[in-house]
Amino acid sequence: MSIKEYRDMQKRCSSCNFCKWIPFDKVKSARFAENCPAQAYYQYNAYSARGRFQLGLCLVNDELKPEGETQKVIQSCLSCGACDVACKICRYNLEPYEHNLELKREVVKAGNELPVQTKMAESLKEEHTMLIGRKMADRDAWARGLSLTDARAESCDVLFFPGCQYAYERPEEARKAVRVLQRAGVKVGYLFDQDACCGGRMHQMGLQDSFEKAASANIAIWENVQAGCIVTPCGDCYHALKRRYAQLGQKKPVLHLTELLDQLIKEGRLTFTKRIEKTVTYHDPCHLGRLGEAYEPWNGHEKKIRSQIVTWEPRRPRYNGVHGVYDAPRDILKAIPGITLVEMERIREYSFCCGAGGGCRDVDPELSKWTAGERMEEARATGADVLVTACPWCVKNLSEAHSGMEVTDVLTLVCEALEEGE
Amino acid sequence: MALDRNVYAKLQEIVGERWVSEDPVHLETYRCASVQTASHYGPYDNRTPVPQAVVLPGSTEEVQQVVRLCNEYKIGFKASTTFWAAAGYVGDDNSIQLDMRRMNKWEIDEKNQIAVMEPYAIAAQIQAEAMKHGLSCAITGAGCSTSILASTAGWNGGGPSTISMGNNHDNLLGAEWVLANGEIVRLGSLGSGSGWFSGEGPVFSARAVLRGGQGMGGDMGVCTRIATKLSPWPGPDHLPTYGDAPAYKADLPDNFRAYTICFPSWDAWARGYTAFYDNEIIYLGHRQFNMFGRDLKAAMIKIITDPDKQLADLNWLLEDPETQRQNADMKIDTQIVIAGMTERDLAWKEAALDEILADVGAHKSEMMLTKEMVDYTLAYLIRMGHKNLNYVYAGSYEGNMAWSSNVFVDAEWMETVVALKKKWEDEHDYFARVGGDSGLGSMTRAGGGGSTGFEFFIHYDGSDIHSVKGTRKYMDYTPIWMKEHGFGQDLGRVNDTARREDGYSYTQEEHNKLFYGTPSAHLMKYQWKMREMMNPNHLGGTYYRTLDPDYRPDAD
Repeated sequence: MSIKEYRDMQKRCSSCNFCKWIPFDKVKSARFAENCPAQAYYQYNAYSARGRFQLGLCLVNDELKPEGETQKVIQSCLSCGACDVACKICRYNLEPYEHNLELKREVVKAGNELPVQTKMAESLKEEHTMLIGRKMADRDAWARGLSLTDARAESCDVLFFPGCQYAYERPEEARKAVRVLQRAGVKVGYLFDQDACCGGRMHQMGLQDSFEKAASANIAIWENVQAGCIVTPCGDCYHALKRRYAQLGQKKPVLHLTELLDQLIKEGRLTFTKRIEKTVTYHDPCHLGRLGEAYEPWNGHEKKIRSQIVTWEPRRPRYNGVHGVYDAPRDILKAIPGITLVEMERIREYSFCCGAGGGCRDVDPELSKWTAGERMEEARATGADVLVTACPWCVKNLSEAHSGMEVTDVLTLVCEALEEGE
Repeated sequence: MALDRNVYAKLQEIVGERWVSEDPVHLETYRCASVQTASHYGPYDNRTPVPQAVVLPGSTEEVQQVVRLCNEYKIGFKASTTFWAAAGYVGDDNSIQLDMRRMNKWEIDEKNQIAVMEPYAIAAQIQAEAMKHGLSCAITGAGCSTSILASTAGWNGGGPSTISMGNNHDNLLGAEWVLANGEIVRLGSLGSGSGWFSGEGPVFSARAVLRGGQGMGGDMGVCTRIATKLSPWPGPDHLPTYGDAPAYKADLPDNFRAYTICFPSWDAWARGYTAFYDNEIIYLGHRQFNMFGRDLKAAMIKIITDPDKQLADLNWLLEDPETQRQNADMKIDTQIVIAGMTERDLAWKEAALDEILADVGAHKSEMMLTKEMVDYTLAYLIRMGHKNLNYVYAGSYEGNMAWSSNVFVDAEWMETVVALKKKWEDEHDYFARVGGDSGLGSMTRAGGGGSTGFEFFIHYDGSDIHSVKGTRKYMDYTPIWMKEHGFGQDLGRVNDTARREDGYSYTQEEHNKLFYGTPSAHLMKYQWKMREMMNPNHLGGTYYRTLDPDYRPDAD
């Protein structure tokens, strides 16, 4: 699509401002009621989904150019999708999340991508990772010494897709993940020198060509892999694989590591041996939660019924966060002896972003840092000892908020309770 | 027209560089598209003027300094909170826009049942905090995304809570107001340093002057703090919800009941409404789901309460005989919530309700008695958190054919009005075909029992110029029809005398011509005097209508 194809949607935004708040039925306090980090931090209307619809219409009308402050506003979107859930409480014919992404693509089309984005794209192309400075040659170092199935040549139960964060920055955790799965009798496969970045952040930043090239290359490799499913421990990768790759034709089932671990625990294939006496709160990663819904193919068109009711023919899939991954990580935490789970005010489909989404750690570090601090304040308000999450990007960004509160991931607690690696 | 560099620098000094902008992306996103819902104005194919700057003040003192600066340089200004309606936007090319969202503090005084708040404390926030103290706040039909300060001090409106908690403008206890001339006025007891308990004294009372019935629409300065009356909330300190988005439902507490009442005739409806009011049995009452239209509401209720359904399911649902029967049953309906302060209170209210229903021949809708439906009804009415289903069909709606008078008068005319709208729906494709009757609103208004705050929703597509123009034709016609049939001004065009069709404010000359010789001429002359006193440089818009007392048409 192009931004021009969003004209009707831009004009149909009712300026109701629901996009600035969590769904009102879920408001538990005045303090934690807002949902959009960019809007809450920068405050001007333009930063909200509603403002972005107005901004987008100005682009279509050639009243604004995707440069300067306009570009800054566009690129401040964390692509967390919170506005999308809130909007769809009452609207069935607006897609603010997709529109926000289209605005980012518009910036790139105009040749205004940021230097840091260019470097990330170059790194993706040359080194198959968006982590600048990391080398493809080192990508599978984490896997050395593990008895992994070589998925390039053999069939396996699951193809393990660690993602760049686990491959390069959390190698020990990646190794633990594999060992835990193997302990449960899962035959884990890996692609070694053919494992590469999912490219999802390129998509989130509007660099669609770079994303599609990375995705197509991965999909082509996976076509020759004999695996029951693809498993990733990363929320960002999960969204890319589950939703975006599926749009490009990828057909293998995709699971997040927490989904598989939850299944293995419930089947009795993993039994915890150690108590962990901690009160924890769980942070829903945006791309695992509300953006973790599976892609459903649709080919149709808008159709008005009863004169002016805007609908679709055929019935169009509706993404509003309902079917994301929320229960599996919580069920795992509840199954660990000694752990008490307490919830934050903004959870599940109306969770607040960690600040790492949409490439904002690199594009708008000030906003990213503030967002993490805001989330950690909410976590501290629960009285929990530890914030637990299920995405390495969330772990990284929230840890760097230096809140004084421990931040970890579900896998780490699972390993501790299994006494894995100790 | 760029703002004088001197002025811009001074604005930066006052609020800090971060909180003032004149970048086009910010100016453009503070314009109201009048093809959209602009609150009883239009629809017109225009946008309100571009402000010269957007300023986000952080305190009353900063607001005062900004206003004084505007007076010094004769620059217009308009403050707004949630920017929901055209009234909140500037009306000329030499104005700045104040966005009040940095001022969002609030406090609850449990003992005195008062909430004190700044402009951007929205209703959802205040209610969530008030519930922790066993209290709740009145929320207008505009929903909980709106500012209570705005509806209390600068505007008006009823909602489901009006019948038990009053209109927000009735609940104003005190206000801190930066007048358009830069002076700060503290109304009522606040002005004597006695706190917020009364808007009418013990020092001086200017509540009627500063807000009147309609409110000043932000034209006479900036209200920076208000106190509003809170009402008892006999429910839990937090109302948990269940279910998947968007069909969240709230577990109905044991001491609550939620019903959809079906009346056999409009006369029975009128008698029922007055009896509900007289017997003080209703906690929340609104004809709500009829906003979807008489022919569509049962199907729409099924869609909005089921997360797996969507608008594409409407047609097959409408063909379902069961849905058709339910629609027919709810032809003349209203939603109510009863709250028992004690077990005896609840039992008495239930008994009274049953007796009233028997007396007028009404009954409770069977469809709406299931747990899911009563839970949804409560979740909807308690905070109007799904209020923007107003826009569900195509993104735009306008309310017209307002009924705020005696319900027995309304009852006599209701089907005539329904037939008029249905005729337009059937003969044209300008707005959604919903069965004519899309009337909804509160059970009472100013004046107490026997009055309503009804309006008929017209659902149109703001992106489709054919739909916009056709809706406008209908909106042009209904005031004429109402006048011919002995009714007052049509709500749908009530703000057409506040802002011109091109999105700009009126000139005084234009207002003089509009109001001279009209039934409201004396009021407009009075307001002219008030404006000269408090806003001598005429720096607001023209939602505060005025007529120059010296104006004579012959002078033109």
